[in-house]
Amino acid sequence: MSKHRVASVDEIEPGERIIVEIEGKEIGIFNIEGEYRAYLNWCAHQAGPTCEGNVTGTTQGEYNKNDGKVELDYCKQGEILNCPWHGWEYDLTSGECLSRQDVILPQYKVEENEGDIILSVA
Amino acid sequence: MASQQQRSKALEDTTIVDTDVHLSVSPEEVAKYIDEPYKSHMTNTGYSPLPSSGWDRNLRGKIEHYTVESPEDVDEVLCNDFSIDCPILNPTSVLPRLPQTDLAAELMSGYNDLMIDQYLDEYDHFRGLAAVATQDPEKAAEELDRLGNEDQIVGVYIASTGPNPPLGDSEYDVMYQAAEDNDLDIAYHGSGGAFMFEFPRQNQSFEKFIEVHTMAHTWSQMMTLSSLIINGTPVKFPDLNFSFLEAGIGWIPMMMFRLNKEYSIRRSEAPLLEKSPEEYIREFYFASQPIGEANHSKHMDQLIDMVGADSLMFATDYPHWDFDHPEALDKHLSHRYDVEDRNKVLHGNAAEAFGISL
Repeated sequence: MSKHRVASVDEIEPGERIIVEIEGKEIGIFNIEGEYRAYLNWCAHQAGPTCEGNVTGTTQGEYNKNDGKVELDYCKQGEILNCPWHGWEYDLTSGECLSRQDVILPQYKVEENEGDIILSVA
Repeated sequence: MASQQQRSKALEDTTIVDTDVHLSVSPEEVAKYIDEPYKSHMTNTGYSPLPSSGWDRNLRGKIEHYTVESPEDVDEVLCNDFSIDCPILNPTSVLPRLPQTDLAAELMSGYNDLMIDQYLDEYDHFRGLAAVATQDPEKAAEELDRLGNEDQIVGVYIASTGPNPPLGDSEYDVMYQAAEDNDLDIAYHGSGGAFMFEFPRQNQSFEKFIEVHTMAHTWSQMMTLSSLIINGTPVKFPDLNFSFLEAGIGWIPMMMFRLNKEYSIRRSEAPLLEKSPEEYIREFYFASQPIGEANHSKHMDQLIDMVGADSLMFATDYPHWDFDHPEALDKHLSHRYDVEDRNKVLHGNAAEAFGISL
């Protein structure tokens, strides 16, 4: 395990990201409403640069059996990372893929320490 | 199983032909290669001059919109990043959806000239397929005669969503004869954008593009394949190779075996055939993209085996939104196929299908 200072806190504002290369790995560090997450810039689909994709929300649907209607909800705005190659959706807060239950982005520990953002890479 | 890095290195070390690369040509750009009054059609209509289905390919920005607007785009992304050694370009899929036959014929030569001038003349390792306006098979034949001596033009790109009648009709024999005379092999390619004209029920009835696009290319290719086989097009033109792009491969076993069964009963409706439909289809070539994504990878392996190492080719379909990286196919090849069969799929079959010296 090695620790790396990758930025100061004011270099990644809420809603922003940076992508760094450490030990041969490209890693995206995201600030989601003050919470930091770090993921490998590599999509489980076809190895696309996931961390370079747009951050959006997504549409969820629920079927109400009582009235027979489908309720659509555009939700998680700012929390969905879309791979730019093919649009595979990942939940930025967990790294989980929305369309594949067994797929999760490889992730790294990232924390704030006295104004610096510290990334731990195994 | 080999690691991701080992497989990437294996792709770099292998010759790869990409049989389906699209150019992104604006109306203003192709207008430079056509004459009046068609030039003004492309630059001065006040509306979009070419029909569009209007569907949102890029999911409201979730998917990046990539384009190929220069030979450098092809070289940097495909040849450099994707390890493609020989990209086979095609200039346009729009021709069959044009109701104006004269405009389609003019654009045919315009798109082809643009591809030669801006792309093929710039890079020796690029190859191209000549677009044809199937609305006018005589003019299409003249175009193939005109381009027959272009060394880097290796085949004919027939946009197979939209042509009416279907592409095995004898109306097109003059076009196929010119292709055969000029050693230009045939590639068929469907289109989600033209699908609304060929199967209008889809745009009337489906609300989501995922429904339309899942079916568009395969339906058009199934119709084309059926028309070719039953009308005996491969019997009439035995020196032509026929390739099918951008419909994946799952539909091929289904068509082979259904046509076999139908032919066993209704042979008299396909009197030109000298052997079973399957035997003709096994002489055709099929590009892998968009490769299916089975929940159990072995099921995709089985489909690949059914199509076979003598028929399968690789394609990216770059820069379109459902393109495949070479790894998407090679992960099914590298751990199961010997070097000879893997090389056939990644370059040998494409070289044969289009008569390319690598």
